[in-house]
Amino acid sequence: MSYTITEKCNGCGACMRVCPAGAISGEKKKPHKIEVNLCIECGACGRVCPQGGILDAEGVSCAMIKRSEWLKPEITLETCLACGICIDACPVGCLAMSEQPRDKGVDAYPYLKDAKTCIGCGFCSVECPADAIVMQKPVKTQNVTDAKESA
Amino acid sequence: MNKPYMGKILMVDLSNGTMTEEAITDSVYEQYLSGMGLGAYILFNRMPAGADPLGPDNILGFCSGLLTGTGSYFSGRWTLVGKSPLTGGWGDANCGGTFSPAIKRCGYDAIFFKGISSNPVYLYVKNGKATLQDATALWGQDAVETEEALKKQYGQKAAVAVIGPAGEKVSLISGVCTDKGRIAARSGLGAVMGVKKLKAVVLDGVQRIGAHDPAAMKKLSRHCAKWTNFPMPLSLLPGTMMALMGTFLRVTPVIFAQDGLLYKTILKKWGTGGMNQMSVEMGDSPLKNWNGSNVDFPLKKSRKIDPDIVKKAEIVKYHCYSCPLGCGGICATKGKYSHTHKPEYESVLALGGLCMNEDLDSIFYLNEFLNRAGMDTISAGATAAFAIECYEKGILTKKDTDGLELKWGNTGAIIALIEKMVKREGIGDLLADGSKVAAAKIGRGAEECTVHAGGQEPAMHDGRGDPGFNVHYSVEPTPGRHTIGAHLYYEMFQLWKRVKGLPKPTPLFMKGSKYKINKEKAQASAACSKFMSLGNGAGMCMFGLFLGSKRIPTFDWLNAATGWKFTPEEYMTIGERIQTMKQAFNVKHGIEPKNNFISSRAQGKIPQKEGANKGRFVDVEKLASGYWEQFGWDKNTGKPKDETLRKLGIK
Repeated sequence: MSYTITEKCNGCGACMRVCPAGAISGEKKKPHKIEVNLCIECGACGRVCPQGGILDAEGVSCAMIKRSEWLKPEITLETCLACGICIDACPVGCLAMSEQPRDKGVDAYPYLKDAKTCIGCGFCSVECPADAIVMQKPVKTQNVTDAKESA
Repeated sequence: MNKPYMGKILMVDLSNGTMTEEAITDSVYEQYLSGMGLGAYILFNRMPAGADPLGPDNILGFCSGLLTGTGSYFSGRWTLVGKSPLTGGWGDANCGGTFSPAIKRCGYDAIFFKGISSNPVYLYVKNGKATLQDATALWGQDAVETEEALKKQYGQKAAVAVIGPAGEKVSLISGVCTDKGRIAARSGLGAVMGVKKLKAVVLDGVQRIGAHDPAAMKKLSRHCAKWTNFPMPLSLLPGTMMALMGTFLRVTPVIFAQDGLLYKTILKKWGTGGMNQMSVEMGDSPLKNWNGSNVDFPLKKSRKIDPDIVKKAEIVKYHCYSCPLGCGGICATKGKYSHTHKPEYESVLALGGLCMNEDLDSIFYLNEFLNRAGMDTISAGATAAFAIECYEKGILTKKDTDGLELKWGNTGAIIALIEKMVKREGIGDLLADGSKVAAAKIGRGAEECTVHAGGQEPAMHDGRGDPGFNVHYSVEPTPGRHTIGAHLYYEMFQLWKRVKGLPKPTPLFMKGSKYKINKEKAQASAACSKFMSLGNGAGMCMFGLFLGSKRIPTFDWLNAATGWKFTPEEYMTIGERIQTMKQAFNVKHGIEPKNNFISSRAQGKIPQKEGANKGRFVDVEKLASGYWEQFGWDKNTGKPKDETLRKLGIK
């Protein structure tokens, strides 16, 4: 299964730049195409397309979302077993295992190392066998934006 | 997406740079799983009989596991396969880290290399495109430097498998390194990569890995995690208590069948090093090149490798992919290197007790040095111990050793010797291919000082203490292997709880009964081999499997991941098929199974006069015969019978 690009595409290339699988190709200002075998259904293309020109694997049109509002993983360390499945599941490599232990002792833990590159796909959350990760709206960033907007 | 395997392999011909993607049919996975099973299937069918292990016809395969990435725990192991230049037969090496899922994320279950490149190259796979790149600038760099350079270029997410200088110099005891110090070390397959001029494999894929029933996978994983975290009072004990427990196990005539929960507690607290002192005390660790015992290496010597002392250097735990336990650790070290992966039990004893070396700092240093060089710590330590014995007996003199005073426990000389082995300098060149090759070159009775099985130095588990080790060292298609079966392993796997017809060990028994040869022992050994072949096809970690078959749901994970409805017995048949195919590979390539029996010293043909294994002799010949019969292999020659091959569908 794969996401697809509709005739609404104006060839801006935003989807191609965000795709972590290198699945999208196309010339500037010309309709782009998603390679079925490479698409991993992370949905990033749908979230960036200003034209609403992307359909998900079920054929439903994707809505553009401001990147600052994309969901981010929240890791509950109490239930996390540090197995590293989430880190491997992440297609952009924004999660990492700590190089220092948590609190006292020697236990390692995963953390969101590079929030800016996170595409909010939620694969980390889906693949975590311990269900220790939930995808949430980034509260902090939102507050900052809100403050800016109200100012 | 809902299959747990990718259904494709990549075949790279290094001679002409061609790359062929091949689809693998479902029936192959149903018969052999993926991982080592798929590797055996490809190598058996495609490698011409008598192929030179260091020639273009040898095929080197990087194989992931069927369960890797499916939501199961303890399933992040990958297997390196090829014809071993060390033993001349089937070779494989198993490794954790993060490389196993990386293979599948590139869309393949395995990547194979044949041919020989004319100049150093590495394979780079990204977004469904594989290319060979020039590796001239990387050639000569150690494994960690190479990995760092490649990750700087391609990003931290890329998984990298490399050879170090040992592999480049075609040392027959070299391996392939990942994750800055995890190493697929056995069978000498680093030499195959080196001779092919393949410096590294860099994988940067993002493909998703499926499972037939993800919800069921998760439920099973939760069950497994419950047992992984099962609280045990043992975890509160200090390392010294482990040593005393070892002493107790040495003196007691009666022992109890062990439950894997004990071992998982040791692994969780200390890692494999939790056994350091205990093994010396109970007669599990060979000492002084298999001639010594706990009498030569008493508590006051072994306390320098007390697991609590090793643990003090640990900064943070290291988990391989999908491991909820985390037996590894990243340690601080003194001297040239700042960090190292926590030295494993095998490395500590091979570089320590086997050479009578008591200096822990030197063990840390050599551990990192050898990981970077891409040389097997077990074989390096064992070959050093062999050289020391030759020197002590006058077979080697100061003139041969370039002036090194190769005496038991001479730390400085041991370090210098191993550094020379990696550089292939002077005496190091002689020893860089392991003890069997070196002994043949030295002559003068040096062969008497070697301990090997078919050319492979066995691991630090004495088969005179647990006869099961001697069976598997001797009968496995990959001789000298310690990660398949033993009396102890059978107890911990608890297979009889899931597989019909397997004998249940008695909870309390006389130690001497381990040495009695009977059908139940043969059944137990065969079951271990079948189960670990299955496990290596699935990408499972043996330490995880030690939890016991009801607590780590291997069979159920396999069914939930694939949608098959196989019984545990049917899965054991898959293991049997993989094991038989490896044996058939050996026969095809002219190996006489009998020639792989472990050296008589380790069998106890001249029994030890003191220590835990005093008076013990293990009749490998008789045990092998019983084992072969269990598999339908000829009980005199160990060669699979035609009817057996037919029954298993091996052509």
